[in-house]
Amino acid sequence: MKIFKLFTAALLFSSLVAYAAEDPATTLVSTDLKQDPFIDAQVVINLPANTSVTVLKRQAGWMQVKSSGGAQGWLKMTSIKLGSGGTPAKGDNGIMSLFNVARSGRSGNNGVVVTTGVRGLTPEELKNASPNPAEVKKMDNFPKGKKEADTFASAGKLQSQQVDYLAAIQPTSTPTQNSKSFMPGGHK
Amino acid sequence: MNKTLQHISLCLVLSASLTALSLNAYALDFGLNNLNVDKLISIAKKTQDLKPVDEKGEFEIGSGVAANLLGAAPLVKDEKLQAYVNRLGWWLALQTERPDIPWHFGVLESDGINAFAAPGGYVFITKGLLLRLRSEAELAGVLAHEISHVLKKHHLMAIQKGAQTGLLADVASMAVEGNQNSELAQKAIGAGTELYSRGLDKDDEFEADRMGVVIAARAGYDPYGLPAVLQTLESMNADDSNLALMFKTHPAPQKRLELLDAAMTGSLEKYATQVEGEERFVKVVGDYAKK
Repeated sequence: MKIFKLFTAALLFSSLVAYAAEDPATTLVSTDLKQDPFIDAQVVINLPANTSVTVLKRQAGWMQVKSSGGAQGWLKMTSIKLGSGGTPAKGDNGIMSLFNVARSGRSGNNGVVVTTGVRGLTPEELKNASPNPAEVKKMDNFPKGKKEADTFASAGKLQSQQVDYLAAIQPTSTPTQNSKSFMPGGHK
Repeated sequence: MNKTLQHISLCLVLSASLTALSLNAYALDFGLNNLNVDKLISIAKKTQDLKPVDEKGEFEIGSGVAANLLGAAPLVKDEKLQAYVNRLGWWLALQTERPDIPWHFGVLESDGINAFAAPGGYVFITKGLLLRLRSEAELAGVLAHEISHVLKKHHLMAIQKGAQTGLLADVASMAVEGNQNSELAQKAIGAGTELYSRGLDKDDEFEADRMGVVIAARAGYDPYGLPAVLQTLESMNADDSNLALMFKTHPAPQKRLELLDAAMTGSLEKYATQVEGEERFVKVVGDYAKK
């Protein structure tokens, strides 16, 4: 039993995405913090809009967070915004944040990453660019085809699945809204 | 075949409206009594000859658009990085209804945060976006979104729609056939490049989001990689000049996230335990970032 639990935990853990150094986030609206990452999971506490939380990890469409008051649980990823308060998250999310030291010229925590590369593409740049067919040709030499892809997939333990395309569904209500039908701490 | 059908139907609409136009013209010219039926039929036939862009034309337009894009931002000079993105891209493309077109993937030397698709199988991601991702599942989500634009021929359709509304009247009839670098192809390439500044229909973007997460799931990844990227984008400063083009040409990330979440709930959650691929991503992209 215990072994089974451990095994399940290990399985679960492998699918959790750790967020870099406990990202700060803010609730977008009033929302229930859940015990588990399920819509009908027990409510830990209700968090008002603009509550500061710390993101611990993500699982499917849920984020595990810790509130500033110390409560821990799960929120839908649609109900929080990464970054603290009105301040946008630093421009160095993702892998960039892992290599801060290596990226010289990064100026403090204002999110400006100074690199020597080309700045962002603008409509003007796109309009005024001269075509570069030689670069297109270079792409013909990149690895291609099923054999390369299969080797890549098996090295990454990727298994293909049969999955149907999705129909468009309008969100019935903001997932962030509280449903009055939930009993506080209701039965499972 | 479905795609061909869509083109045919677009063409039929086009033919129908042109036929209606010519009917009016003839009605004015000759009056109904003198209706020159033969001439009408020949014109109707001519308009029916308007062909959807065939695959050869699609590739020609695509490589022309790609050349323009690469003129604005060249490829990152890192073979390992480019190979990694191409192998991943091909693995995703193999899970789709167009596994055997010549797919090409490229990382662009640009701090802009964006990704692009061009007709015929060209898919690009900027260095700026790549370095803000956390895992292979997130990269898969972005590439699969762009792959979906190619599958649904969103850019080609937009070029033809532009033609339909008279902006590019003669491109509508282009079939490119053996007409390399023809004036028509050049116009279509120009129109295709312009789309990167104007953007596609919002619905095309939402559709590519919904298809992208499915393609990622088919490829064995956690399909929530794309939603996670959208959440990252939402958190970034909208005034950042590196985001200007993406924000101008795409619906707000939070809106995309909410629609995706609604569409995925109940059907794709069970694939969320699939591969995240942080380790390989951090190794390959990290090696590049450390340079």
